[in-house]
Amino acid sequence: MAEQETAGVIHDIGFRHYDGPRLGRGWIVRSLLVETFRGAFGFGRPAKAKVMPWVLIGILLAPPLIFVLIIVLTGMKDLPVSYTQYFSSLQLIISLFIAGRAPYAVSRDLRHGVMPLYLSRPLKRDDYVFAKFGGMALAMFAILAAPETLLFVGALLAKLPVGDQIAGYAQGLAMSVILALVLTGIGLVIAAFTPRRGLGVAAIITTLVVVSAIGGILWGILTSMDNDALGAYLSAIDPYNVVNGIATSWFSVEPNISAMSTLGFTGGLVFTTLAVAIVWGSVAILLARYRKVGVV
Amino acid sequence: MSTLELQGVSRWYGDVVAVNDVTMSIGPGVTGLLGPNGAGKSTLISMMGGFLSPSSGTVTLDGVPTWRNPDVYKVIGLVPEAEAMYDMVTGWEFVVANARLHRLHDPEAAARTALEQVDMMDAKDREISGYSKGMKQRVKMATALVHDPAVLLLDEPFNGMDPRQRIHLMDLLTHLGTSGRTVLFSSHILEEVEEIAGTIEVVVAGRHAASGDFRRIRRLMTERPHQYTIDSSDNRLLASAIIADGSADTVDLTKATLSVQASDFGRFVHALPKLARDNDVRLFEITPADESLESVFAYLVAR
Amino acid sequence: MNLTVIRLTMRGLLGRRRAVLLLILPVVLLGLAGLTRWASGGTPDASATLAGQFAMGTLLPLMCLLISTGVIGAEIDDGSIVYLLAKPIPRRTIVLSKLAVALGAAVVFAVLPTIIAVEIAGDEGGRLGLAFGVSTALAAVAYTALFVALSVATRNAVILGLLYALLWETVLGGYVPGIRAVSVRQWALSVGERTLGDHAAAWGVSAEVGVATGVVMLVVTTAAAAFLAVRKLQTLRLVSVD
Repeated sequence: MAEQETAGVIHDIGFRHYDGPRLGRGWIVRSLLVETFRGAFGFGRPAKAKVMPWVLIGILLAPPLIFVLIIVLTGMKDLPVSYTQYFSSLQLIISLFIAGRAPYAVSRDLRHGVMPLYLSRPLKRDDYVFAKFGGMALAMFAILAAPETLLFVGALLAKLPVGDQIAGYAQGLAMSVILALVLTGIGLVIAAFTPRRGLGVAAIITTLVVVSAIGGILWGILTSMDNDALGAYLSAIDPYNVVNGIATSWFSVEPNISAMSTLGFTGGLVFTTLAVAIVWGSVAILLARYRKVGVV
Repeated sequence: MSTLELQGVSRWYGDVVAVNDVTMSIGPGVTGLLGPNGAGKSTLISMMGGFLSPSSGTVTLDGVPTWRNPDVYKVIGLVPEAEAMYDMVTGWEFVVANARLHRLHDPEAAARTALEQVDMMDAKDREISGYSKGMKQRVKMATALVHDPAVLLLDEPFNGMDPRQRIHLMDLLTHLGTSGRTVLFSSHILEEVEEIAGTIEVVVAGRHAASGDFRRIRRLMTERPHQYTIDSSDNRLLASAIIADGSADTVDLTKATLSVQASDFGRFVHALPKLARDNDVRLFEITPADESLESVFAYLVAR
Repeated sequence: MNLTVIRLTMRGLLGRRRAVLLLILPVVLLGLAGLTRWASGGTPDASATLAGQFAMGTLLPLMCLLISTGVIGAEIDDGSIVYLLAKPIPRRTIVLSKLAVALGAAVVFAVLPTIIAVEIAGDEGGRLGLAFGVSTALAAVAYTALFVALSVATRNAVILGLLYALLWETVLGGYVPGIRAVSVRQWALSVGERTLGDHAAAWGVSAEVGVATGVVMLVVTTAAAAFLAVRKLQTLRLVSVD
């Protein structure tokens, strides 16, 4: 212990300054991304936190398993649901997943005010946004690709024509990528503005469900007025329809909204632009939002 | 008078025992509930405040159980640890609302008194969302005082207060204690407990480790020798006399100080003045080196 | 019922970002009502579809969930409910006061807009408006009671409420007829159907259950939920953070 001197002394009690190699910014971003990805599935948290995501994943994977069984046992010649139509059938579950996990990725940090902790590292604000977006988008892609893969494997097991299956599977994966990006964008933006527990989930799912309903209503209204094309365009307020529109135009898959197939090249362009705009816009909003965060 | 009685109280969650067979009686005056993190202090205060039921044992206020008894809040004021409050109202509105919820005759007068006691009259018309942590703590105090309760339970009340606010709160609690109220507060900050608590209750790992005035507890810690620092006109001579006398276990003489460890406290205390007089040494200062709450606490925790 | 609790709850519900959603959704509904009228020329059956599917089926349960979690869920979550609980007020009073606020908010933000939307989209002598007004009001009572009870009972009230409202009532209800009979929406709709009398079939308003069953189930559900909420609040454990 220091002796009682008026000057005051600081002793060397063994703290060492670290001068060795340090992992750089890139490593931090990668770690954050991986951690976000794992967190979306409840890994790294107690068992209770795993229940919700895995229940939803179970529901998402159940139908493909059932289809595979059906195909193998009854010897059907084709998949009951095409790779690209699958998303529309389970739209609600997918929406519930992003609604539940996006707040987990982003709202908690804001709610507990730990952003200064993140930012006092060699991590830039934009890095944080990209890492979170990337992790979440990867998780969403995994969610969407898993049932597709199950369908593919099942189809192969049932000895369905391989060429068609590969094409379908590839289209399904492509759609998964786009859908993952779009949903992540929407989900993270809403979550970043609703740090309160529970509100983010409710806000995201409400938004997705409501725009879906609106899309359907607009489509219904405009079809009844024989304005199919406009109806198809307006139904794109629903992100699922946007992705579906892209698939219809570029991959010529069966559309959910029948008029989409008539839109041709223009339609494809419009929908693709829309998807890009959503993703790019979300990232821009997130970057702007996080610019002001952590500044006390 | 208002006395909180805990009889054989235990609380467990599955396999984890948070509070283990605690019996204590909290009477009028200021009592400090002391213990390391996770010792069960918050659990105890929750049970006293009627927000948690004991798994076994009874928690009563003047014979009436506090559990599921909303009427008990007429005489209990609770200052919770949780930071969150109703953010979108002003401090004034919030304290008045609390007064109204207590069905007070004149809620606004009561609110004014409470806010004056905690020195928040200046900021009362600002929204709580804009308050600093210390200000929020003070509004919390005001809500607990607004109905002039006989019992005050405070869970970590000094958290987030700057020194000036802390002194103010300590004065307030002391004043409430001397006016006959039963004040119980939990803390890790030993200096505060030392200064204002007449009685301390030490809780370690869910068990009731000690209770009473901390100096008396120190007397009871006979396994540990008492330490003294002595300043006299001739330390060397005194040191040799003490060694010769044999009433001390350890004598530590440095250029500036004479430190003594004595396990037989009584014998040493009687021997020292005699030794000094017999050897013509003037005693200037005798300081108990470890008779502080900190050492008591460290000892109890380490057991 | 306690006026102070009501006032505090109202300030809490409306003073937060939640309120933004509560305002946007009725506006969306009214916009769609306008579009429906323009497209269908004001026929009651189109309006009935909008009200039955969108307003009652999608919007109402979601809004009731938002409102209920805002009325008590948020306070339990951050622990500020302790200020209401550490008072000599029976828990019953607290729950009833909050239910009153929730119901009031549901009426203002969901029921009234539904009636207005029906009138905009097309009605005949106000009959459809009355029917859906009654149905949504009754459904709102049951929903808010259910979701408030859920908010007190569990920290995951939002997810569970969503699973019920969206999965159980909408999706599964579409596949399994039996499930449809156990649904707040159908019970409330049965009253609306009866109110319309002969017009119900013409305008496409039909419920899975009869009026008697519907009303009884609504009453039972609401009472049970309120009772559960009070019981759970009496033994609420205050823990902070996630």
